Amino acid sequence: MEFEDKKIQTVIASDQYLVRLGVKTLLNVIGIESDLYEADSFVELERLVNDVPDLNYLILSEDLLPKQKQDCLKGIKGSCSFCKAIIIGQQKIPNCVFEHFILHSYNRKQVVEKLQLFFQESDSTFGNHDSGTLSDREIDVLKAVALGYSNKEIADQLFISINTVITHRKNITQKLGIKTISGLTVYALMNHIIKAEEVR
Amino acid sequence: MVAFTKNSKMAEVILRDYQLLPIISRFGIKLGFGNKSIEEICTDRNVDLPFFLEILNSYHSIDYFPENHLCDFKADVMVSYLTNTHSYYLNSKVPHIELFIDRMDQTAQFENSRNVALLKQFFNEYKIDIEHHFSEEEKNVFPYVLALEKALKSNNCSPQLIEKIKREPIEIYERNHESLEVKLADMKNLIIRFLPPLHCEDDCEHLLTELFQLECDIEDHTRMEEKVLIPKVKMLERKVLEYYGV
Repeated sequence: MEFEDKKIQTVIASDQYLVRLGVKTLLNVIGIESDLYEADSFVELERLVNDVPDLNYLILSEDLLPKQKQDCLKGIKGSCSFCKAIIIGQQKIPNCVFEHFILHSYNRKQVVEKLQLFFQESDSTFGNHDSGTLSDREIDVLKAVALGYSNKEIADQLFISINTVITHRKNITQKLGIKTISGLTVYALMNHIIKAEEVR
Repeated sequence: MVAFTKNSKMAEVILRDYQLLPIISRFGIKLGFGNKSIEEICTDRNVDLPFFLEILNSYHSIDYFPENHLCDFKADVMVSYLTNTHSYYLNSKVPHIELFIDRMDQTAQFENSRNVALLKQFFNEYKIDIEHHFSEEEKNVFPYVLALEKALKSNNCSPQLIEKIKREPIEIYERNHESLEVKLADMKNLIIRFLPPLHCEDDCEHLLTELFQLECDIEDHTRMEEKVLIPKVKMLERKVLEYYGV
């Protein structure tokens, strides 16, 4: 598969240095080869989530999150739809957008198992992302791009932020392997996503 | 990687890297080298040796950086080579690709003929893009390069030229030098991934091979403009300014 030989990208986010160091050591122990990025504040985390292209994994300590935990997590989920996250915390967050947790009460064995499971499980789901099927939202964005709208116009039309538009575009390009607007237009026409008469 | 030198045997160069074949033919060098060295071939064919070596080496190895040899050749040789290359793309490569698309168009049925028509249109746009890119370079950049060299040689430099070096140095062109390969990569992707199968596999295969080659070649061409042309021009700009004490 196309992205198989690409290195995976992992963000480790915690405001405590020792936690980040501990996570790094454990990743080493279970043999995860990944580019690592560290965030020691929520702002930094948001920046990384938006800036690191093709981010795969996020290991996030709860202590980093501002008060509205659920909303922050949703925001993060929104900015990196490809990314799998595992939360380190006191207890599981109910109805959380992410399903993986490492609890403070876990012993070494449990933590290692959780991490292994987390990375393995995600490996198998990557197949789906690479299959090239666009999500409904991505098709909406593709349609607008192919019709020649700017990021700002698309954001307004679909009621999303410019950043989200950019993320969608990045994902579309990654899934289709097509970078230019005219290339995307041809794809959209071929697949009847837009009609020739609509192109401006 | 060891760079080729004037004593390297021409035949060995090509045996080592066959991708250099279109390059040497752009210099009017024909096969049948016998055991002649690069230097001997250049003398026979009246080709500028230092420049020819620069080109061979920068096409051959991505890491080759010719800093030390920029003074060895004249700008006009390079300009004429680049102009030749442009016409090679437009007059030889592009028509080839168009030919294969046309053939696919003829055999495509119903629904797919619409898809091939879309590809055809896409490539047409690309052709217009590169024609525009090349003619900009030939109209604006190359004459400037020649004027710089002339100013140094003739002891005569117009105030306009000095003004241009200050206001519009080659650095501006460098910053705006856009990539010509991206659209080709898209075209390959469209064919490989999304075009429903055609009944002319041979033509399709040839088309793809041509696209891969053109993409590689243009990539090298761009690298050569960025690693040989631009550094050379920067050096000329510096020299002109120094020489005329500005």
